[in-house]
Amino acid sequence: MPLELFKTPNIKFLKYKYHALALTLLIILAGLINILFGNGLKLGVDFGGGTLIRVVYKMPMSVNDIRQTLRDIGLGNSSIQEAGKAGKEFQIRTMQVIKAADAQQELEAHQKLADQVIAALKGNDGAAELGRGLIDLNNIDTRGLTALLTTPFAADAPALTESILRLRNDKGIFADYGELAQSGLKPEVITFLKDKTFLGKLTVVSRETVGPQAGAELRRKATLAVIWSLIGMLVYIAFRFKLEYGIAAIFTLAQDVLITVSIYSFTSREINLPIIAALLTIVGYSINDTIVIFDRVRENQKAKRKEPLETIMNLSLNQCLGRTLITAGTVFLTVGALFLFGGKVINDFAFCMLLGSIEGVYSTIFMSCPIVLIWTKIFPKTKGFRK
Amino acid sequence: MKKGLRWKILLTAVILIGALVISYPIKEKIKLGLDLKGGIHLVMQVMTDDAVTMETDQEILRLQELFKKNSITYTTMTKEAPGRFTIQGTTPDQEVKVKDQLDQYLRDWDYLFAGTSATVTLKPIAMSAMKEQAVDQSVETIRNRVDQFGVAEPIIQRYGRERLIVELPGVDNPERIQDIIKTAAILEWKLVKAGPAADEATLLKEFGDKVPEDMEVVKGDPKRRAEGFYLVNKVAAVTGKDLSLVRRSQDEYGGPAVSFQLKPDGATRFEQVTGANINKPLAIILDKKVQSAPNINAQISDSGIIQGHFTIQEADDLVLILRSGALPAGIKTLENRTIGPSLGADSVKAGLLAGLIAILSVMTFMIVYYKLSGVNAIVALILNVVILFGALAYFQATLTLPGIAGIILGLGMAVDANVLIFERMREEMALGKSVMNSISLGFSRAFSAIFDSNLTTIISAVFLFQFGTGPIKGYAVTLIVSLCANLFTAVFVSHWIFDATHTKNTKKLSI
Repeated sequence: MPLELFKTPNIKFLKYKYHALALTLLIILAGLINILFGNGLKLGVDFGGGTLIRVVYKMPMSVNDIRQTLRDIGLGNSSIQEAGKAGKEFQIRTMQVIKAADAQQELEAHQKLADQVIAALKGNDGAAELGRGLIDLNNIDTRGLTALLTTPFAADAPALTESILRLRNDKGIFADYGELAQSGLKPEVITFLKDKTFLGKLTVVSRETVGPQAGAELRRKATLAVIWSLIGMLVYIAFRFKLEYGIAAIFTLAQDVLITVSIYSFTSREINLPIIAALLTIVGYSINDTIVIFDRVRENQKAKRKEPLETIMNLSLNQCLGRTLITAGTVFLTVGALFLFGGKVINDFAFCMLLGSIEGVYSTIFMSCPIVLIWTKIFPKTKGFRK
Repeated sequence: MKKGLRWKILLTAVILIGALVISYPIKEKIKLGLDLKGGIHLVMQVMTDDAVTMETDQEILRLQELFKKNSITYTTMTKEAPGRFTIQGTTPDQEVKVKDQLDQYLRDWDYLFAGTSATVTLKPIAMSAMKEQAVDQSVETIRNRVDQFGVAEPIIQRYGRERLIVELPGVDNPERIQDIIKTAAILEWKLVKAGPAADEATLLKEFGDKVPEDMEVVKGDPKRRAEGFYLVNKVAAVTGKDLSLVRRSQDEYGGPAVSFQLKPDGATRFEQVTGANINKPLAIILDKKVQSAPNINAQISDSGIIQGHFTIQEADDLVLILRSGALPAGIKTLENRTIGPSLGADSVKAGLLAGLIAILSVMTFMIVYYKLSGVNAIVALILNVVILFGALAYFQATLTLPGIAGIILGLGMAVDANVLIFERMREEMALGKSVMNSISLGFSRAFSAIFDSNLTTIISAVFLFQFGTGPIKGYAVTLIVSLCANLFTAVFVSHWIFDATHTKNTKKLSI
């Protein structure tokens, strides 16, 4: 006997269509109220403009220490988040509202703010060492390090530079020279580095500044791309199935996006370009699910012409239930792994996908078929499917 | 062996081997995007009006010369806007002569006479051609500079009408390269009439507190320790366009400097100007900032040096910029992202780990739940990944974080295709069909669902590719490729594997 988690059940899903519709509207309404009057949607730098800085410290720091430092330069309202690596890595987004004559000045002002933040965080760290002509090994670039190493090690310099910088990329920052020794670097190289360099207390791992113009443009383009792709799907489904199925699919997708965004708005996470990719992926899975159901309805309708549409839809939903849950389960497994182990950059994305993979099952079962049914009740006309 | 099976196996083998060959070694063949590799992403706008303004200024100067030569009288010529200027105070009897000159020399311009003045406007076609050219030329100049700086695989392309995207993977010194890109590099040598002075008022005292018509005030560049204000001739003795050769050299104190040679035409002018102005200062002005204003000790003809308390790096960068020529218009940054290599390395490491865990757990599930048929699904899945990377390598696509999202969706749908088929086979078997019949019906009945859902997603991804920006495009590419591979592996390959491993005599389907 095959191993079966789900024997074909006989659940009257469509009995609950109005309950489900009410629940959907409730969640979306709560989300909309939160977005419009509550926390609002937190636009990331991609869409909102501004500056995002990620720094890694040599020693663990606290958010409060950083906030105090920024308060001293009048930027206490910046958003500061810890980002992994045992209290050493932080993400700082300046929240200063900048009013400037034109977009370029605004971008420059943002860049200046970023410079100020970095300068304040560094404080007078390394000033004495720099004064003595030492170089910060945690911030030196490839060319600089190669030039430095060329004097004593001549031809070996490029290879040495590469291995030292690869190690630095791996660790993010050097806390002490012992870390270099562990990697198998020759003692004379380390002695030389100790003599000529010092280890600065922090390094900037990334820095993104998006001007208001570019942010608005990215927003516009993302919206346009999504709208066109939805229209493309509508046309194809309307052509392969019937108009009401295309419309139901679009409603289902709109619901997927709205519910996910609504729940997302209650978290402290920001909307960025990767989140748009996550929403599109959710839409992709959901359309896949929906089509599988519609395909089954199409097939069953041909075989059982006498049965009412509601019975056929319930049958199809039940027949496909095993598949729906297994597929959703594997997706959940995948994005669950991304969420837990995928690292900080992908974390918001994975979180959004987790929401979507649960929500997608709900929308496939309780939205797609019910909408077709409601539509046919409002506009009763054609029968049967296109071939 | 069953009919046609041989060809199916051969076709699959050819595609598999092709994909492996194309994508080997994978580290070199699959390019990672900036978010995974680190680097700089800039979106810039070319201020095309600058180019038109420069052209307008030049045409005014040319026309003034022509009028002088043909003894046409006028009071003033003023620039009203980029691409529009007026000529005032021409006498009516000279109108024909003016029109003659305009017709002959300013063919790209329209003119309109009203009494004693005329408005001259650049034709719209000429203006848009000029702007177009300014953007193209900026791309060319920036590419030149980036190439000379030595960045591997830079991307410099137009984006929309007036915008550029510059992507420099692996660059770990963002400020320096940005300075190199954005410097307009308009270099001029102008005679100093007064200065340097601490402020403009002191500078203009002996000129009756206003700037004489043929002169202008230029600030010193604090970076070059040339502070204060200078009053200089409006007309440059020579400019960057006259340079034939530049390289880094040393000044008389052994400090870094930039030496230059002039083309014959420029050398003649330089000889005249320096000969007539010995012991007077000559300012070297880069982008409206005085770099230094050395005294002319002797007549110079075709070579000299530019001093300015440079560091070696600054001198090198100036040489690079001068060699690649000036930008035709100003450039402003709209978006600036610098991703350090360590952040990208983190993402790749974590992404690989998560991907591995995800794939292993999905595979385990498939084998436990679908037994030997699950093995078949895994073979199809692996083949799908190989084809995906082969195609990415072939199209030289760049793998980004959103691109990985596209792969996840694609693989998820590949698993789903198998689930659809297997569930269908189980249903058919439950209805009492034979093994071969169940296999065949499982595939044929699941096909329409797989085909429609994959094609719908492909259609939407094509639109995303067409209308989306960078990251969304990356997402669309991997998605399209992996879904196409999916239709091949899940429907075609998986089917022949079933056919090859089962016969009419097979009593039981391991599913």
